[in-house]
Amino acid sequence: MRNGARAVKWGVPIAAVAVVAGVAAAGPVIAAVQGDPSLPDRTARELVADATRKWQSGQLPPMSGTIVQTASLGLPTLPVAGDVTSPIALLAGSHQAKVWYGGPAKVRLMVPGEMSETDLIVNGDQVWWWNSAANTATRVKGAPPDGKPEATPYASAITPQQAAEEALRAAGGDTEITVGKDATVAGRAAYEVVLTPKDAGSLIKDVRVALDGETLLPLRVQVYAKGTAEPAFEVGFDSVTFSPPAPENFAFTPPLGAKVEESTVPSFAHGPHGKDAIENAAPRVVGDGWDRVVVASVPERLTQDMAATADKAESWRGSNGVTSLTDGLLKSATPVRGEWGSGRLIRTKLVSVLLTDDGRLVAGAVTPEVLYAAAAQK
Amino acid sequence: MSNHEPPGHPSAVAVGTGAAPGRGAGPARAAARLLASETALTFRRPRHLAMLGVLAVVPVLIGVAVRLVAGDGDTGSIVAQVAGNGLVLTFTAFFVMLPLALPLAVSVVAGDAVAGEASQGTLRYLLTAPAGRGRLLALKYANVVLFCLASCTLVAVSALVAGLALFPAGPVTLLSGTTVPFAEALLRAGVAVLYASAGMAALGALALAFSTLTENPVGAISATVVLVVVSEVLAAIPQLSALRPFLLTSWWNAFDGVLRAPMDTGRMGTGLLVFAGYGVISGAFAWARFTSRDVTS
Amino acid sequence: MNTATRAGESIAAPPSLPDKNATVNASENTPENAIVTAGLTKRFRGGQVAVDDLNLTVPRGSVFGFLGPNGSGKTTTIRMLLGLVTPTSGACSVLGEPMPAGIARALPRVGALVEGPAFYPYLSGEANLRRFDAADPRSDPRTVTRRVGEALDRVGLGAAAGKRYRAYSLGMRHRLAIAATLLGPRELLILDEPTNGLDPQGTREVRALIKEVAADGTTVFVSSHLLSEVEQMCTHVGVMRTGRLVAQGPIAELSAGTAPVVRVETSDAAGAAAVLARLGLNGAAQAGTTQAGATQAGGVATAELGDALPERICAALVDEGVAVRGFAVVRPSLEDVYVRLTGEGFDVES
Repeated sequence: MRNGARAVKWGVPIAAVAVVAGVAAAGPVIAAVQGDPSLPDRTARELVADATRKWQSGQLPPMSGTIVQTASLGLPTLPVAGDVTSPIALLAGSHQAKVWYGGPAKVRLMVPGEMSETDLIVNGDQVWWWNSAANTATRVKGAPPDGKPEATPYASAITPQQAAEEALRAAGGDTEITVGKDATVAGRAAYEVVLTPKDAGSLIKDVRVALDGETLLPLRVQVYAKGTAEPAFEVGFDSVTFSPPAPENFAFTPPLGAKVEESTVPSFAHGPHGKDAIENAAPRVVGDGWDRVVVASVPERLTQDMAATADKAESWRGSNGVTSLTDGLLKSATPVRGEWGSGRLIRTKLVSVLLTDDGRLVAGAVTPEVLYAAAAQK
Repeated sequence: MSNHEPPGHPSAVAVGTGAAPGRGAGPARAAARLLASETALTFRRPRHLAMLGVLAVVPVLIGVAVRLVAGDGDTGSIVAQVAGNGLVLTFTAFFVMLPLALPLAVSVVAGDAVAGEASQGTLRYLLTAPAGRGRLLALKYANVVLFCLASCTLVAVSALVAGLALFPAGPVTLLSGTTVPFAEALLRAGVAVLYASAGMAALGALALAFSTLTENPVGAISATVVLVVVSEVLAAIPQLSALRPFLLTSWWNAFDGVLRAPMDTGRMGTGLLVFAGYGVISGAFAWARFTSRDVTS
Repeated sequence: MNTATRAGESIAAPPSLPDKNATVNASENTPENAIVTAGLTKRFRGGQVAVDDLNLTVPRGSVFGFLGPNGSGKTTTIRMLLGLVTPTSGACSVLGEPMPAGIARALPRVGALVEGPAFYPYLSGEANLRRFDAADPRSDPRTVTRRVGEALDRVGLGAAAGKRYRAYSLGMRHRLAIAATLLGPRELLILDEPTNGLDPQGTREVRALIKEVAADGTTVFVSSHLLSEVEQMCTHVGVMRTGRLVAQGPIAELSAGTAPVVRVETSDAAGAAAVLARLGLNGAAQAGTTQAGATQAGGVATAELGDALPERICAALVDEGVAVRGFAVVRPSLEDVYVRLTGEGFDVES
């Protein structure tokens, strides 16, 4: 009896764990209870056509929401001194951003960091790029009239909208477009358009674009690599509200004491890391469709690092996110050679990168063979 | 007082000195009295006073360091921000101290709460007083929460005083680039204090649960500190980023939500839920353990 | 003689209650008894049985000496009485309240000292007492200053009230612990080895204090491993040995086991024994001595004295023609009884 009472007592913390786990899992559980949403049937072509028409017309409804971007490319990363304002950091782990959309001329994209924040604010003809860590406000000149965040390469990696447009643009005639099972994203029923590359050379199994059932706004884009069950790259809304955001969100005046700069395109050069290695490369695109690869000249620092991989201490000392990331990449590179020459190959689930000994970088979501072919055409 | 008082045993009056037990006092006032006793014990203890002293000095040191560095012209943003406005030192102090300094202080107080009494032997006298096990645990936790609030307030006030003494005051620029009046920034600092206290209180619940497991206070304290450090290391590994939302430590720095415009209530709200989750689970374990364990010390 | 017989039985075999696992027997759990246990057993996690089937009855108003060697289960029993340790089986009640369920009702009326004093070293004696008083939800905060002052005065610590506990001597620490038990009106004091480690002077003081408290009518339950201590202040006694209660009852009954013995040295031991038996001395009385009645042992005959007058016995022996070489009335000490009950060298026993 006494042991029974004691057992009952220990039931309390067990119940507490169950309740907390239940609350934590409430989202998925509710979704499971509700089952898959069912939207009126539409063909893939219809959906894509309707969606693109809507996006191009600029008739997206006012909204705000939180975007979560997750990449698990299978990069051999070392602990990255995570600074989310560095685009390289987006290649690993999970990142959050918030978006406020009041209309084509009222957009704010905010990427929070720890005690820092990066904002892209479009208000009418004004476009501001604010970086609190650098205390720099950049006024972007010559911004496209529709003021869409695609003006920045940075933003293109982060909103589902841009990712979806990117994916549909990439999808040429060599893509099979189908409609998958309806999904629930950020609590909303959504169509899922599945883009499957027909090219054998692509590492991508398929790209799934979830379109809001009501507004056809892309709510999520998932990229699945061949032979994996989990998406290698995913960007989507975590929460979304379709109501006009408060006007304060789009009002930006550079604060007192901040550096104010003017630029045609905001550059990452103002990030705390200074000039990124990647930026030295002037990239060139070879091929088309899913087999597109990027060819660039290898940044000098990387070549040096390759020449002296033994000198690890040196690279560790400059332990910003980019350096440790590239170090990790270089260590996993395997030497390869062929008719095109020789170099080092880095393979991940989704992306292959070839660093040739003559100082070129060839990369794409393709098999190494496609890279070799691209490397062969000088 | 006793229904079983046998005739011919006028003992109740005999021993002690004839105080009628406080029938009118009521359980709430009696609890308040024990809580006051707990609090007095915590804040009178030399070790804890020394710890609070260190907590108060750190923001001042940060302020002085910023003051020295700020003279060098082009410097980093936080330095520039603090140098531009004394109030920012409050947030900087939290940013610096929330990962380890404050958790350390809270672990010492909460980890010691039950284990310290047990190792000292005073636990058996509290229980035979009788303090009541569930009641004593609840009041000990209330005391831990008060300590969290006090230490976070102390850090904020110390930083505010040092900041205002060393740097100019005025409207504060938020992380979003928006500028708010000093009074509103002060209010935001208050919210940050409450949020940080809630985060520390969740850790305090965890430390209290450890404290009920052992008669060795150092064991409970170090277990808590090790857990904090391990969580922070795990959170820094990108491959384990999926773990991050479940770690207590990942949510402490979400206090910087008060520095955004609009205030990032979403993330802070989730943080509070995580704190509550940790608090409920730890509290339930502590209760089950403490009310069923044999006190043999 | 009848009395002696009953006493003997009660000493040898403590009353066992029929239903061991049920609550404390209703007939025992009367207002007449301050503490009742029924089949109380504690088995620690290692399987070690600290207390085994304990049936203890402490009458109200008694000064009950709880005797036993170190490690015989006294402290564990006290911890179970105070609700600090949960019994493995069996039940106990204190002041009519079942423990540990009735802690909140029973313990405010109980002053307890368990395994020596324990206080906050950085607080003064007075602040320490206030702290423990605050822990009792039934104590009245309005009278705490007076009660603490009186308790301190009572144990002679009035002058050292403001001194930090850290600076107290061992004797002062013990006295403070006793003062803590006197903070409120108590019906029962449970004192675990209250004189342990004290010098003779301190021991005397504590003993005097206990007598004083008991004189007021408070039941005192005091554990000790020293018979002499118990002998000097207790009205009742219970003896523990390796977790079992081997005897309990009024101390007079335990002393009855030490009834004086007639010892006759004679050449005709058998004759002497017969005479003693005829006088009614060697009846069924089992308690006090190891011999059952008169025996011949190397020309010595012994028997319990009982109510008989030694000079009559002597005369009777002479009348019967028994050659008496020596005649003595021997009084075995209580300690002899205690040692017999608890075993030799008890202090080193597990």
